[in-house]
Amino acid sequence: MIKQRQQFHRTLGLLGLVLLAFLGLGFRLLDLQVWRHEELVKLAEQKSLQTTWHPARRGDILDANGNQLATSVFVKTLCADPSLIGGQQAVVARAIAPLLQMNEADLIRRLTPRIVQNAKGERVTNGLHYVRLQRNVTDETWRKIKTAMSQLTFGVDEKKLSRAHRTFLRGLRSSAVFTEPMDDQLRVYPNGMLAAHVLGFVGTLDNTNHTSELFGYDGVEKFFDDKLRGASGWRVTGTDRRKNELVAMRDEDVGAQSGLNVVLTIDAAIQHIVEGALTNALAKHRPQSITGLVMRPRTGEILALASFPSFDPNNLSTITTNTGPNRMISDVMEPGSTFKTLVIAGALNERVVRSGDPIFCENGVFRYAGITLHDSEGHHFGNLTVQQVLQKSSNIGAAKIGIQLGADKLYAYMQQFGLGAFTGIPLPHEASAGRFVHPLKGKYSIAQIPMGHGVAATRLQMAMAFAAIANGGELMHPMLVKRLEDSSGRVVQSYEPKSIRRVVTTGTAKEMVEALKTVVSKDGTAPLAAITNYTVAGKTGTAQKVVDGRYSSEKYLVSFIGFFPADNPELCISVVMDSAKEGGRAFGGSLCGPIFSEIGRRCASYLNLPPDAAPTAPVIATALTRNPAHTP
Amino acid sequence: MAKNRKNQSAAIRFGPALKALFLCLLIAGSAVGYVWQKSQIYQLGKQIRQRESRLVQLTRDNKKLDDQLGLLRSPVMLDQRSRELNLGLVPVQPRNVFRIPDHNLPPRQWAARQPEAGIP
Repeated sequence: MIKQRQQFHRTLGLLGLVLLAFLGLGFRLLDLQVWRHEELVKLAEQKSLQTTWHPARRGDILDANGNQLATSVFVKTLCADPSLIGGQQAVVARAIAPLLQMNEADLIRRLTPRIVQNAKGERVTNGLHYVRLQRNVTDETWRKIKTAMSQLTFGVDEKKLSRAHRTFLRGLRSSAVFTEPMDDQLRVYPNGMLAAHVLGFVGTLDNTNHTSELFGYDGVEKFFDDKLRGASGWRVTGTDRRKNELVAMRDEDVGAQSGLNVVLTIDAAIQHIVEGALTNALAKHRPQSITGLVMRPRTGEILALASFPSFDPNNLSTITTNTGPNRMISDVMEPGSTFKTLVIAGALNERVVRSGDPIFCENGVFRYAGITLHDSEGHHFGNLTVQQVLQKSSNIGAAKIGIQLGADKLYAYMQQFGLGAFTGIPLPHEASAGRFVHPLKGKYSIAQIPMGHGVAATRLQMAMAFAAIANGGELMHPMLVKRLEDSSGRVVQSYEPKSIRRVVTTGTAKEMVEALKTVVSKDGTAPLAAITNYTVAGKTGTAQKVVDGRYSSEKYLVSFIGFFPADNPELCISVVMDSAKEGGRAFGGSLCGPIFSEIGRRCASYLNLPPDAAPTAPVIATALTRNPAHTP
Repeated sequence: MAKNRKNQSAAIRFGPALKALFLCLLIAGSAVGYVWQKSQIYQLGKQIRQRESRLVQLTRDNKKLDDQLGLLRSPVMLDQRSRELNLGLVPVQPRNVFRIPDHNLPPRQWAARQPEAGIP
């Protein structure tokens, strides 16, 4: 009986212990699964889940014909784990230094763990597990490095080495040199300096996760940065013990969305023609700067836009203060005689004067409101028709026409032609020159401004104003971008030519074209701007530069803006040269005229423009005439 | 009679043994199948990963080749090459071009394309 009771007590005790154990387990379960659930889930996710980012490829910039002007290539950031290299830095450096085009000694130094003092004065090991060797390593180079690393030899018979030593060498070969998991992008401009001021360049922004991001710094790269950039993707996935991804445990998987391609109206071939002509002029006349623009007056499409000195966007060290901004849109200048075109167009449109009306040019000296005006080059013109005022570029004639037009109307036409306002070209840093275009208040402003003094505009504004005359009096919006498309070529957004306003009537524009044609004749100021087989209309400009608040007698801003074929204009071309180092005084007609002519001739040939002036007989036709036997 | 009973009992015991064996095989098969399936998932995952990275690589190589082709076709490169090779290529002059009237065009459009009078 006692024995039975003892047995019962033992069983009870055992049951109590088991119950206690279960209670303990239950408590632990509650602790892990309920009370600390959130904390432990996070911890578990940290250990087993991995988030990887997929970089979005920056979109390309293409010319009107699909030629690449800017593109992106994925590159890797090469790193090393010095702790896995042990004492074999020299062997590793010898294998990979030539591939990285790095100095071997420098590479050995970087592969060696160093002990440095931190800010608190503590001695710490710097770069024990991570050291960055080189950025922008191409896939090809990385493949070569991997091969070189896998074939490393250490001059010992590895079979005789201990197991630990063999494991160490295996780890060195496979894991000592590695790349960042997320690739970087390298922006490449395949044509080097071509259209550098239009394209701009990109900067690099370092992220905290050892990767970098490109962002537009200037030009189209900056203006369309948000479109070009795209959106990064990401993947949250489970990993195994070695951090290898387990595809079956993918949680979130969002692909990267590549940036849009920006298709410009720029034609690489025409841009090349313009830059070639400007480079030759730069070498010949050694100006401080020179710019060129080619556009279609009917649509406002810009086919070429160049500004020199220029830079290579592939090599940012070529950017200096001298290469500066895009002078075509950001430099504000006195236009000089090209401005007379706008004044006379306004006067003709208002019927204040007619093309054939005589204007007495005071034999070269005109006193007005206390100032004396002279015609250039010591000319002493008597009576000139309005057309001849343009042809001879008479300052006095233009001043008198301006006075007849009146200050208010002159100011209104300046505004109508787009002066003092942004043209809206999709490029950063455009100047409006608004503070230089204002109602005429000074006593002699009305005489001075019509000859292009005391007023300022950007080179693009003047070119757009001329294009308006070429386009029958309708001012167009400058077009630099044709469309945005995705990486598969699907059009996302397209831009159409847009008229801003009608400035003068078609009749006035025609009268102006007739007058501007005479400028390029042998009696005009720019016979050198003529293009064989094409009728050219244009105007020269020679403006004294303002240096230290005074007009310089040595530095001139010379220009020629014209279009052709004059009666059916296909191209409008502007050439502006700043402070050419010429002996004596330089003029727009003599300096910029020939450049205009060269650009025009080559563009006409490239675009196969039908001539509008009597050409010589076709060569083949001549041959056939000479040999009638060949006539079909 | 007793012999028959004995035989009968033996036959009855063989059935449950078969059932047990079948159950064991089923459980073992399920276990092996589960492991095999897991292994297949892992292997397929590995293959997917490899093919994905191969696809990325091929896409990049394709883009690189496309870029190279674009560069070789670019007007700037062609101009440079023609200069380097000294091919003596010059722009076509208007007098070298025959313009054939396109009578399919409406008269107004054709007139707009025509140069001034006096041009052949």
